[in-house]
Amino acid sequence: MYQPAASGAAVGVALDRSTRGRLGLNWDKELDEVARRRVLAQRMGGPEKVARQHENGKLTVRERIERLLDADSFREVGSIAGAARYDGTQLVDFVPANQVAGHGTIDMRPVAIVGDDFTVRGGASDASVYEKLLYPERLAHDLRMPIVRLVDGTGGGGSVRTLESMGFTYVPALPGWHILDGNLTRVPVIGLALGSVAGLGAARVAASHYSLMVRETAQIFAAGPPVVAHAGQQVTKEELGGSQLHARNGTVDDEVESEEVAFARTRRFLSYLPRSVYELPARVACDDDPNRREDSLATIVPHDERKVYTMRPIVEAIVDRASFFEIGRLWGRSVICGLARFNGVACALLASDPYHYGGAWTRASSEKLTRLVDLADTFHLPIVHLVDVPGFQIGVDAERAATIRAGVRAMSAIERSSVPWCTILVRKCFGVAGAANRPAGRLSMRYAWPSGSWGSLPIAGGLEAAYRADLEAAADPPRLRAQIEERLRAVTSPLRSAERFSVEEIIDPRDTRRLICEFVQLAHHALVPGPTAQPFRP
Amino acid sequence: MKRLLSPVSGTLREYLVAVGDRVTPETEVARVESMKMEIPVLAEFSGRVTALLANPSATLEEGQPLLELGA
Repeated sequence: MYQPAASGAAVGVALDRSTRGRLGLNWDKELDEVARRRVLAQRMGGPEKVARQHENGKLTVRERIERLLDADSFREVGSIAGAARYDGTQLVDFVPANQVAGHGTIDMRPVAIVGDDFTVRGGASDASVYEKLLYPERLAHDLRMPIVRLVDGTGGGGSVRTLESMGFTYVPALPGWHILDGNLTRVPVIGLALGSVAGLGAARVAASHYSLMVRETAQIFAAGPPVVAHAGQQVTKEELGGSQLHARNGTVDDEVESEEVAFARTRRFLSYLPRSVYELPARVACDDDPNRREDSLATIVPHDERKVYTMRPIVEAIVDRASFFEIGRLWGRSVICGLARFNGVACALLASDPYHYGGAWTRASSEKLTRLVDLADTFHLPIVHLVDVPGFQIGVDAERAATIRAGVRAMSAIERSSVPWCTILVRKCFGVAGAANRPAGRLSMRYAWPSGSWGSLPIAGGLEAAYRADLEAAADPPRLRAQIEERLRAVTSPLRSAERFSVEEIIDPRDTRRLICEFVQLAHHALVPGPTAQPFRP
Repeated sequence: MKRLLSPVSGTLREYLVAVGDRVTPETEVARVESMKMEIPVLAEFSGRVTALLANPSATLEEGQPLLELGA
């Protein structure tokens, strides 16, 4: 376990102040000045600005860090960086830089942290010290620990005010972005939008493995309402970039109702992941019986294929009790994504949600699935896939959304992943999207429930296309259609597929947990630490 | 006042609630046919139904308002 030393720890022999002075060893004046500046920096933007931050329903950056990290674990770096004003050699004013940075621990594991201080110039770049923004990123990168970004403002992005102070303009560049980007291939990165964030601030939230925003107090946009008004659109900041939009279109993974929940979810997300790609996720003790049979699973899927059922209770029933952490609940909703544990082993979990397009892959759900598979591959999490996929979403909306393009990207993510897979065919598995129930080129343990139903096309719809000429020529088309359907149904039993080893095992749904726990017991020995061949892209 | 949006594109088969009914987040308020399945639409919020906004058998787009909920 890592724990920073207590601050102010005495080293060597302690001499009193007057003795130190007599011996010419007294640095108290200098240290007093450092302490004085720390006190000034702790005021942030001053009592008025701090009060306004609270009135707006937001915590200050220092309160946020204190509530996110383990008690007394924050070690600040750059605590007296900022803009000083001197009268001769006398310091007369000091405004701290509007990022607070350093490191600390979450659940006794080290993390780098950087937070914007909105009380100083609204988090804008003219009050920032760019090197200080990069320090925690480099710390996370080089010492291999997760980084959490508490974004509230433009977070180092531009302001036209800088034109006057600099006296020139520049071709835009993001010095150090390669470190932020490199972190995505190396350590867990979490972006929290905790206020109105624009430009680079928005980019710092989105360039993460897990992002969220607080309902009503956080908004995200490339440019805010005043700029957008110039383009002729009159909108409020909530209309332009609120969570009702961005937690539903995949800009961020999740929305939360408060900053406290944001911090709780951050801690929870990190609990499943290793410190960096160079380590494997920790296996935790599990007090839930890996052989637990869940009777409810035997009667959950209806025989009538037109009727739906709820997938989340299936997920909750098979994972270690209360270990499922859903990611992206409000977007790409035909696929349920999250992290979970089976017999203490952290896994990524994908599951179809029949309530949304019958579980069909939409553009958004393909993007969400890609993101989770890439996360799993980056941090060495075995993947468990509960499948009920009638195919890609069909129809005009689906074509307009460029679904197949996002779909094949998801298929590439699956194919190129290298972590062990376990697939449970719960019900439907059709078409190209169905074929992506596992990577084709390597082993996936796979089990089918007796409710399994698969093929290149479902009979309904597929029949009309394949037998059009026969049906058109028939004296009684409905009767012929019924006859053909009966013939086809007779050969679509999962048992016939099992005869040909097209499906490996048909199982009692009540045994699902036991079989997945067996899988992870084998799989976690096959995990290999290190960077992955397919680097994570946001 | 909250508006419940259709979670999927498809055909509205029927409303399962009427104006004045009280609903909870888990109440099934309508059935939409999509991807050859009957998909129940859940209320997502608690409240009282104040208006039904689509016609039965209407073709729905994803995100189209289905009904209005008041306190």
